[in-house]
Amino acid sequence: MSTRHDFARALLDPELPCPAGLVAWNGSNPARRFQVYRNNVLVALVDALASNFVVTHELVGEAFFRAMAAVHVRAHPPRSPVLACYGADFPAFIASFIPAAGLPYLADVARLEYLRAVACHAADVSPVGEGALAAQLADEGGLPGLRFALHPSLAVLPSRFAVVSLWAAHQGVGDLAAVVPDVAETALVLRTGLEVEVIEIPPASGVFIAALQSGRPLGRAAEEATALGAGFDLAATLGLLLQKSAITTLHPSRSTP
Amino acid sequence: MSAITTKSISAASLALAMGAALSLAAAPATAQDRMADKEKCFGVALKGKNDCKAGAGTTCAGTSKVDYQGNAWSLVPKGSCEKTASPSSPTGHGQLAEFKEKKA
Repeated sequence: MSTRHDFARALLDPELPCPAGLVAWNGSNPARRFQVYRNNVLVALVDALASNFVVTHELVGEAFFRAMAAVHVRAHPPRSPVLACYGADFPAFIASFIPAAGLPYLADVARLEYLRAVACHAADVSPVGEGALAAQLADEGGLPGLRFALHPSLAVLPSRFAVVSLWAAHQGVGDLAAVVPDVAETALVLRTGLEVEVIEIPPASGVFIAALQSGRPLGRAAEEATALGAGFDLAATLGLLLQKSAITTLHPSRSTP
Repeated sequence: MSAITTKSISAASLALAMGAALSLAAAPATAQDRMADKEKCFGVALKGKNDCKAGAGTTCAGTSKVDYQGNAWSLVPKGSCEKTASPSSPTGHGQLAEFKEKKA
């Protein structure tokens, strides 16, 4: 057990010696072979981060990204053998990473990219039928207490920075040079069918959708969004959710918020 | 729950908005329709994200990057460190200490 522990620790710390008791199948130097293996582990994990955080990578360049990712990999090795969603802690790590402080928006771009990765792998759930919605509409008194389940791929990311524009510019949409990073943007991330979408929404819509997602009833969520005083458009926001098949279940409730 | 002062929204206005939302959403083809002519193909789209990485990470090509283990750190953030206002602040992160050692 402690051999395994030593082995795991030495994999992530190049200062540690080759674990004792290793034997190479062909009699070659196990310390040398362990170094190769250790290096492969690190390179593979850094590669995994690089493919989950493509735009983050482009923003800082390869050398910086790989060095930053290597530090992260050592501090936060994956806890699952599935690397498709590796990097949950990477955005927060970037936010506290002093050498990246010159790019304050970098962490939020990474957050957006991580939400995309999660959305890509989220479960399929069919949207609620329009019949059910129409029936709900007929019961006007129940609307304020109505709760929604939203699609598991859906996430809202409010940012102080132009995360959507920055991300989009790296997909060939818009001109990166024309993006002003310090403009606040709210991103809606969700998957429709097989496609992960990133949509910029007004901040009030973001508050509304996040409130619905956390289980607050329609009336309460609409009030919170309206309280922002930024001209919240309830019909347009609900329309967007319906259009994107993002509402999956209705939970009627008679209790008032 | 929150400190925000909320103005109550009537059920009637919710109904109005929801009715409008339904008609907004009714117009375009839904995602379900677009899925009809596609099929799921697992394990193809996301190269390098699974554990069967037969490329750089598993061949000896990887050993050429052995530098990253120890000294890439001093190689890279030099430029950006110079831009950082307070590089002297020790945050208690092991990695930063390592970075400084290497750089010194």
